[in-house]
Amino acid sequence: MDGDRRKVLRLIGKGSVLAAFLAQIGAAGRAFFPNVLYEPPSRFKIKRPDDYPDGYTLDAAHRLYVVRQKDAFHVISAVCTHLGCNVQWSDTEFDCPCHGSRFRPDGTVISGPAPRPLEWFATSVSPDGFLEVDSGTEVARGFRLIAGKGNA
Amino acid sequence: MADKLKALWRKTFWAWSPESERESSEAIVRNFWLHWFPAKVARASMDWNYSFWLGTASAALLLILTVTGVMLMFFYVPSTERAYGSIKDLEYAVSFGRLLRNQHRWAAEGMVAVVYIHMARVFFTGAYRGTRAINWVVGVVLFLSTLFLSFTGYLLPWDQLAFWAITVGTSIAKQAPLVGPTVQFILLGGHEIGQQTLLRFYVLHVFFLPVFVWVLFGYHMWRVRKDGGLAAIERVRDARTMIPKTTPASKSYSLFGITPGTSVQVMSSTGLEESDQVFSSPNMSRRIALVFLVVFNITLLAALLFNAPLEGLANPSVTPNPAKAPWYFVWLQELVASTTVRIGGFTVSGALLGGILLPGFLLGVLTLWPWLDRSPLRTQGRWLAPERKRQNVTFAVATLLIIVLIMVGVYLRGPYWRIYWPGQARPETPRLY
Ligand code: FES
Repeated sequence: MDGDRRKVLRLIGKGSVLAAFLAQIGAAGRAFFPNVLYEPPSRFKIKRPDDYPDGYTLDAAHRLYVVRQKDAFHVISAVCTHLGCNVQWSDTEFDCPCHGSRFRPDGTVISGPAPRPLEWFATSVSPDGFLEVDSGTEVARGFRLIAGKGNA
Repeated sequence: MADKLKALWRKTFWAWSPESERESSEAIVRNFWLHWFPAKVARASMDWNYSFWLGTASAALLLILTVTGVMLMFFYVPSTERAYGSIKDLEYAVSFGRLLRNQHRWAAEGMVAVVYIHMARVFFTGAYRGTRAINWVVGVVLFLSTLFLSFTGYLLPWDQLAFWAITVGTSIAKQAPLVGPTVQFILLGGHEIGQQTLLRFYVLHVFFLPVFVWVLFGYHMWRVRKDGGLAAIERVRDARTMIPKTTPASKSYSLFGITPGTSVQVMSSTGLEESDQVFSSPNMSRRIALVFLVVFNITLLAALLFNAPLEGLANPSVTPNPAKAPWYFVWLQELVASTTVRIGGFTVSGALLGGILLPGFLLGVLTLWPWLDRSPLRTQGRWLAPERKRQNVTFAVATLLIIVLIMVGVYLRGPYWRIYWPGQARPETPRLY
């Protein structure tokens, strides 16, 4: 009986030291998951609607294409859905320089390794008259934003 | 005069000199520099034509990389703003800085190749049987670590190659089932490539991976010794056991007086005879020094003749066209580019199939090969044993396929990753970077 109690106490003693050690390792590992990210917001303003000509305009800094057809706008991501290179618009299709994926003007895949169509981003007009893109929100293909009525 | 100098040298640095075989052995085992050699090594282990000393060459490259790498650390700043500039400084502002970087770069690419060829040698000689299977697995891990070291290394200059290699590499990691996105998040230190990413890869490259490789290298060497030397000695051992031992009849002394019988056979632990072995110093130490010098001079020559590539400053807005991985990863790039499968509306991305599952499968088979090999034991330590013909052909064909993929990627792929045959005109693509 006495021996048993000793055994249990010893187990608790050693166990707690070991547990503290493991917890410390866990804490050190947790440090590698950043809590604060100094990254640009996923919602940002680009230019005014009327600053864009008809057709496909690359916004390299935000890695997207602004597409204008008269008064209708939509925004397609320039990031290849395969492994994240920037696709390039060549008047009839998008091509990816990394592994050769090809996309139709609406972003759907023609050929190549890309598994999904290019993303369409939610777009709106901010109160001060700029196009505002939310790269965290996808919208269905066929989305159109009517803006820039002044001239077309 | 020379004799006097020699005598002076002895008097200054030697308190004692070996006078017998036994003392010579002790001189090796008790010396700080030599104690990690066995006192004696089998002649067969040191045969140039058996091993080509590729393992020693890999170790020499590792040493060269460590020394040149530490020197580069004095000039390199792991910051996204200054990394590229510090490489440019190495090239234009630091005396012999370009040479240093070139040598580091070519030694690194050389190490990938030499470690692989070393592995091929071990495979073709069937030198992974019995207890040596553990060292085979250790070797596979060392090969993988070498690849990771190269990968983390060429990210550091923060040029276009670096940036797009991280983009593609970590996107492949993201495709791993379940843990993928978390792995990518930890590697990048966020959702996007930035300062955290560079710093993480830097610390991996200059501390964790090298320390890991050095420790594992030590274990690799220790195991070679504990396994009795290279598998080549098994040939000698077999030959020895073929000769029937005539045990001399003798009288043994026991407590009860003299009894007839046979005396105890004294066998050396390796099963080799005295004449099969020589002192490791100077026989082996001299060869190691020679291999090191040859390897060093080859990397130096390469560094003098060819400059390490450096593309434009990293630019997230522009992907180089085509964006090619370094040659030893190009075959993987070919795989991820061509293994996307579409069945009806269902798509399996090439990133998962060609980037993770297929390489993972190859790696698994490679690791487990010692246990898949069912050929007779006497094939070990023999080059291209006929009993292992099918295995050797399999390995050779796999290697050849990888080389073909590398050739296609390096020489035939042009803008938008399309095939252009030699001589065929390649379209001009805008080069904004
Ligand atoms: S990243 Fe576009 S095809 Fe691979």
